Amino acid sequence: MITQLETDKPKRETVFIVDDDPSICEGLINLLESVGIAGRSYPSAEAFAKEWEPASAGCLLLDARLPGISGVEFQEKLQESGIGLPVIFMTAHGDMPMVRKVMKAGAMEFLIKPFQKEELLHAVEQAFAVDRARRSEEKAVSSIRARIDSLTAREREVMAMVTAGLLNKQIAAELNLSEITVKLHRRGVMERMQAGSVAELVKMCERVKEPSWTGSKE
Amino acid sequence: MNSTRCNSKAIYDASMTDGTDRFSQWMMEYCLQPCAIAVVFVLVALLWTFLLQHVIAYPFVFLFFGAIMGSAWFGGMIAGSVAVFLSSILVAFFFIPPLFSMSVTKESQSFLTAFILCAIAITVVSSARKRAENAIREARDQLEEKVRERTAELQKSNVEIQESERQLRLLTEAIPQQIWRADAAGTIEYCNRHLTDYLGKPVELLQGEAFFAILHSEDEPLFRQGWREAIESGGKFEIEARIHGAHGSYRWFLVRSIPQYSAEGDVARWYGIHIDIEEQRRAQQDLIVAQEHLSQLSHTLSMAEMAASIAHELNQPLTAVVTHAYACREWLQAQPANLVKASATTEKIVQESTRASAVVSRVRALFRKEAQVREPADINLLIREFVRLLRDEAIRREVSIGLVLDDGLPRMEIDPIQIQQVLFNLAMNGMDAMAHASAPRELTIRTERHGEREVLVSVEDRGPGIPEGIADRIFEPFFSTKPEGTGMGLAICRSIVEMHDGRLWACNSPEGGAVFQFTIRTQV
Repeated sequence: MITQLETDKPKRETVFIVDDDPSICEGLINLLESVGIAGRSYPSAEAFAKEWEPASAGCLLLDARLPGISGVEFQEKLQESGIGLPVIFMTAHGDMPMVRKVMKAGAMEFLIKPFQKEELLHAVEQAFAVDRARRSEEKAVSSIRARIDSLTAREREVMAMVTAGLLNKQIAAELNLSEITVKLHRRGVMERMQAGSVAELVKMCERVKEPSWTGSKE
Repeated sequence: MNSTRCNSKAIYDASMTDGTDRFSQWMMEYCLQPCAIAVVFVLVALLWTFLLQHVIAYPFVFLFFGAIMGSAWFGGMIAGSVAVFLSSILVAFFFIPPLFSMSVTKESQSFLTAFILCAIAITVVSSARKRAENAIREARDQLEEKVRERTAELQKSNVEIQESERQLRLLTEAIPQQIWRADAAGTIEYCNRHLTDYLGKPVELLQGEAFFAILHSEDEPLFRQGWREAIESGGKFEIEARIHGAHGSYRWFLVRSIPQYSAEGDVARWYGIHIDIEEQRRAQQDLIVAQEHLSQLSHTLSMAEMAASIAHELNQPLTAVVTHAYACREWLQAQPANLVKASATTEKIVQESTRASAVVSRVRALFRKEAQVREPADINLLIREFVRLLRDEAIRREVSIGLVLDDGLPRMEIDPIQIQQVLFNLAMNGMDAMAHASAPRELTIRTERHGEREVLVSVEDRGPGIPEGIADRIFEPFFSTKPEGTGMGLAICRSIVEMHDGRLWACNSPEGGAVFQFTIRTQV
């Protein structure tokens, strides 16, 4: 219960800087701090991967040329391992094929060193917004999931039929229950799912891809 | 005819193995044949004398002289003597009174004596004459024989000479090269067909000055000079020149001429050959062009690499400066201004700017190579000075630096700053490699002779050595194993060493650790 609480607590948005040049890291952190944004730096992709946690919020500011694993390779790895942080690339020598490749792979922005403050801050703001949206989506999905999980097996059955558009009478017939019992289950579902209307309930189920009833099993 | 008779006689002689055969031949030659000849002649004389007896009043015995002469002539001395004998008897018997008796009257004795003396004299003279004649004829025959033999021999050798000449000519025509022969003064006497075909001119139009007209005007003076020198000195002549062909263009030929000497040791004639080297020449030209192109390309490439590395090296501190500067402005514009942060940030700006300027001076030092600074320097002295500069850094890193220097090294024409740059890079690499190594951290710099013309400088560390598989990549631009490395250090070192006609390579020491070695050529 305690861990649940901790992950729920919103983390401060941070720019995770990965660059092998310590003075660049220092400069970036200083600049971000001066405008009130938190920054953390790592000398390598491995070092960042070690400290990353699912609740990390913010974005990645990645040097395209890194020792060990290159920034581009790292970006691919991030996607494979499900690290959803938006990525901003930076490099001192931007070659077009590389830019095209990383942008295609879903990078937010590509900054050529040395870059303007506005360029950086704009990219960071954008990345933060994307990340926020990502996180709120993730949060909403997980809360709906939690609500669905709190339903009883019977309630879940009833919900599937309701979202499929069946009337109480039909549900009662399908489940061999009285209409009153079905109504009770239905009210329970609406309460636990915190849905004001059937339309809202349908939307929620679609969001988490909860399957609706597709017909009699017989 | 004579020769065949001689031959058959010789063969006959050769087959004479038997004594009896030889005797019978002897008998034939010296008895029977002369006797027969004498008898025939004398009988003919006798017959004619009888016939003429009635015409001429006085017994006419002179015909016997004729018979004796004939016998001596045809039968030799023996036949002559036999004829004398027979004639004397017959004359005494038939014509000297008393007739038909061998006895001779006193008054006729002088006549018979005169007859016999005359007959003997005739025999002697006639046979001598005959012998002389025979000797002359024999001599003439022999001469003729000899002449005939000589003639045959001459004819035979003439044919042989003609044949060998024909073959030689065929050979010179068959050789797919252009061949000529010139007299001692250099006038062309003969050209093979290949040459005349190529030039489109007969031999007569290649003599004297006309020969030089076939040459390209650029090659002519050198050719003329070389040819004149060869003729004067009597030595070989060889030159590459363009020769104008009948088809209207020039081709490159290797013209080679060797003299043939007379028994007196003077040049008798010159033999020349023109070998077509147009293709070779063209291939060579292509190769030179390709090489130039390649070197230009590699130069451009290395310039591009260099530019990229400089851009990167400069961009890093500049990026830091720019970001710090932005931050500084923010700290100052904050309400209230954060002066502590702002001041710390300006300090950073100064640091990073200094770093950028260091990059610039490094680049400038690198580009000084274009000026090719070369001064005679003592490499050992250079290393000692450099180690003094490195002392603080070494103490800070707890590294001890050992020197193993060969004091007998010659001075070398080098750029001392660049060589120190190489040493600095290698030493820093070595110390970096030992950063996490347990003691003892030793860096050893060695100098020694390497072959006749090179000095070998080694920088050894006691670090973990060069990881397998990257030994040949560490000299590539942008290849670095260090977080803060640009990957240019060793690439630059290598280019510096190569500019000093040396080589730079790396290997792992058997005692552990890496060894970087480079050679520098000593003065030639």
